[in-house]
Amino acid sequence: MIKFQNVQKKYDNGYVALKDINLTIDQGEYVAVIGLSGAGKSTLLRCVNRMHDISTGSLLVNDVEVSKLKGSEIRNLRRGIGMIFQSFNLVNRISSLKNVLVSFVPDMPMWRKVLGLYTKQQKIEALEALDRMNILDKAFIRVDQLSGGQQQRVALARTLAQKPSIILADEPVASLDPITAKQVMTDFQRINKEMNMTVIINIHHVDLALEYATRIVGIRSGEIVYDGPASEVTDEILDHIYNGKLEEELTGN
Amino acid sequence: MNMLKAKSITLPNGKIVPFKRSKAPWIILALLICFYYSVQITGFDLQILTKRIGQFWVIIGDMIPPNWNYLNKLWQPLFDTIKMSLLGSLLGSVFALPLAYFASSNIGKNQFVVTATKFILSLLRTLPTLVAALIATFIFGIGTMAGTVAIFLFTIAYVGKLLYEQIENADLKAFEAMQSMGHSTFSAFRYAIMPQIMPNYLSNSIFCFEGNVRYAAILGYVGAGGIGLLLNESLGWRNYANVGMILLLLAVAVFIIENASEYLRKKLL
Amino acid sequence: MNTVEKQLLNEPKRIVQNVITAVIVIVFLMWSLTAVDLSNFTSNGVDIAKNILHGIVTPNTDLLFTFNTNGVPYLLLETMAIAFLGTIVGAILAIPLAFLSASNIVPKPIAFIIRLLLIFVRTIPAIVYGLMFIRVTGPGPFAGVLTMALTSIGMLSKLFVDIIEDLEVNILESLESIGCTTFEKIRYGIIPQLSAMFLSVAIYRFDMNLRDAAILGLVGAGGIGAPLIFAMNGYKWSEVGSILIGLMVLILLIEFFSNKIRNKIVRG
Repeated sequence: MIKFQNVQKKYDNGYVALKDINLTIDQGEYVAVIGLSGAGKSTLLRCVNRMHDISTGSLLVNDVEVSKLKGSEIRNLRRGIGMIFQSFNLVNRISSLKNVLVSFVPDMPMWRKVLGLYTKQQKIEALEALDRMNILDKAFIRVDQLSGGQQQRVALARTLAQKPSIILADEPVASLDPITAKQVMTDFQRINKEMNMTVIINIHHVDLALEYATRIVGIRSGEIVYDGPASEVTDEILDHIYNGKLEEELTGN
Repeated sequence: MNMLKAKSITLPNGKIVPFKRSKAPWIILALLICFYYSVQITGFDLQILTKRIGQFWVIIGDMIPPNWNYLNKLWQPLFDTIKMSLLGSLLGSVFALPLAYFASSNIGKNQFVVTATKFILSLLRTLPTLVAALIATFIFGIGTMAGTVAIFLFTIAYVGKLLYEQIENADLKAFEAMQSMGHSTFSAFRYAIMPQIMPNYLSNSIFCFEGNVRYAAILGYVGAGGIGLLLNESLGWRNYANVGMILLLLAVAVFIIENASEYLRKKLL
Repeated sequence: MNTVEKQLLNEPKRIVQNVITAVIVIVFLMWSLTAVDLSNFTSNGVDIAKNILHGIVTPNTDLLFTFNTNGVPYLLLETMAIAFLGTIVGAILAIPLAFLSASNIVPKPIAFIIRLLLIFVRTIPAIVYGLMFIRVTGPGPFAGVLTMALTSIGMLSKLFVDIIEDLEVNILESLESIGCTTFEKIRYGIIPQLSAMFLSVAIYRFDMNLRDAAILGLVGAGGIGAPLIFAMNGYKWSEVGSILIGLMVLILLIEFFSNKIRNKIVRG
């Protein structure tokens, strides 16, 4: 469970990115966060795994107060939370399998870390993760030779191998074509249902958000202006979230 | 080290994934063997190095401060060096164009001419410039002419190779269109391919000139004129303050030429 | 005036620019032509040229296929050993220097000073280093190795810096989200990106070092250059021919394989 209580986030330059956020997300939910660019979607997501610090308020992730963690405690928190990025963030020059195996690195003994030697068990788990994403046949292919959709699947497999309870996805489909985007959204749906992982997605494509997510959180200038089931989102609500700029936002991206 | 032994892994769901054996250990082993034998052959000895490396710093120390009085005598040879490289690069680049034309497999119709031209270009490229310069001094006598010839030959080979690779990668659609309009092969080349390769050709020529200045500086060592002659002389007399002055002047000249060439090439591309 | 004529006047005028360029090129050409001095052109130059050509096409096959330390094969092996060892030592030493001169890693002033130093290292011709190292180690291939190492440092650190400054840093963000420490981020985020490119550049430099090592013999720093210059000064053109043939074949072979390997490394 993730619980934001009166969370405020102020950047060093004085810009207030999140204002008085109150939000509770239960284990196993599929939440899409929508809003204009710069509304604070990305900041909201990155507070959950402490990629950003919150300024005031309280943020509990699985009953742990995130803002109080230090050093290795932060890294332990992150071990349990997967993160997916718009630009996939894979190491281009190595194979899919090796990219997935990286998710085991923090738990390995030092000598294995230095030499980059993985155990057979780890290889099996990594291959299983790739299999789950239906790209087992690409295990030994270098990532830079895969298509965007395949790369995002490798990134997803890397996250699955981490066995997180929560997956944060920051614009995971923004650099994919519409058909691949749908496939990746379906992948998230499957992971969410089969493995009961919480999935929180920042997304620009409102239609995809409404089609796949069960819950929508609308953010406008750092404030939550809508929080409810995807089925109840109306045009008026979207207009409110996007400040009347929905068309502009969609064509602009 | 199950990486070496495991050939395939069976997943719990029954799928079998074949593993390629990693070649890395073999490559490392081969490199180590090469390293060992190279040390044997060259007589590489860390002890001598650590004991005697002081000599190197002594020489460097003798170069500083450089002998500024020597500067007056250096301008003429420096300009000779630059002239040698300029003329050699200019003529070499011009002559590279027809050679590249004949060496391009997509333009040339005669396979024999294409192969022969390519072969000549690669032979020229492998001939060390210094050796070419030395041979040239036997034919043209001691002096800048020998250096110019050596640079000319190298430039043809270098620019020519890059140029025919470019021509072979050029877009042939316009070329075919022009041929269909009744242009000859040559005139279609002139109007369809040349505009595509021109910026790169000029850029490569300028880059080659830049490198040639460095080469020209040492050609004097074999008597092929320029500042290298004085460098050789000063080194022979162990007059390191003079050597320092030459190297400093050379560094400044190369620096200026490098920056000018980089500026020109940026404008071209 | 109709619109066609108006457009004609609008044609971009590059005449002035072209004329200036042409004048500059011609001036440089005339200036550099003063370097041509044929007064030393010996009357028997043509004969010598003929002799050289004759020697090269009728090489001394004994020398070419003798496998003792005076034969071409051993001399080529020695040249390769010099280039190989020089490349490895140079590449290893270039890595820290490259990081120290990458402006996205160390403070700008330090990067600038190291860069300046490297420019100087690069400008000094290999032959000068060769002569200096001979004073350190005595004549022989050892001096050649040290020379190759130093010139390799100069070029490799420059190329390494370009690679370091091109690093994709967004991978570090995802490693951080996995919970990696700084060491783990370097080991799994940076090194895999760098190692292949570094290796490719080092192989390229080996290719160049082989050419340079071939001339180092001229100053007594080992390799095939010394016998070459002795043969030339003694007008033994068929020996020159066999050495040059061996050298050219070796250089072409190495170039062929180095291109193949580098393509494989970079493209996977």
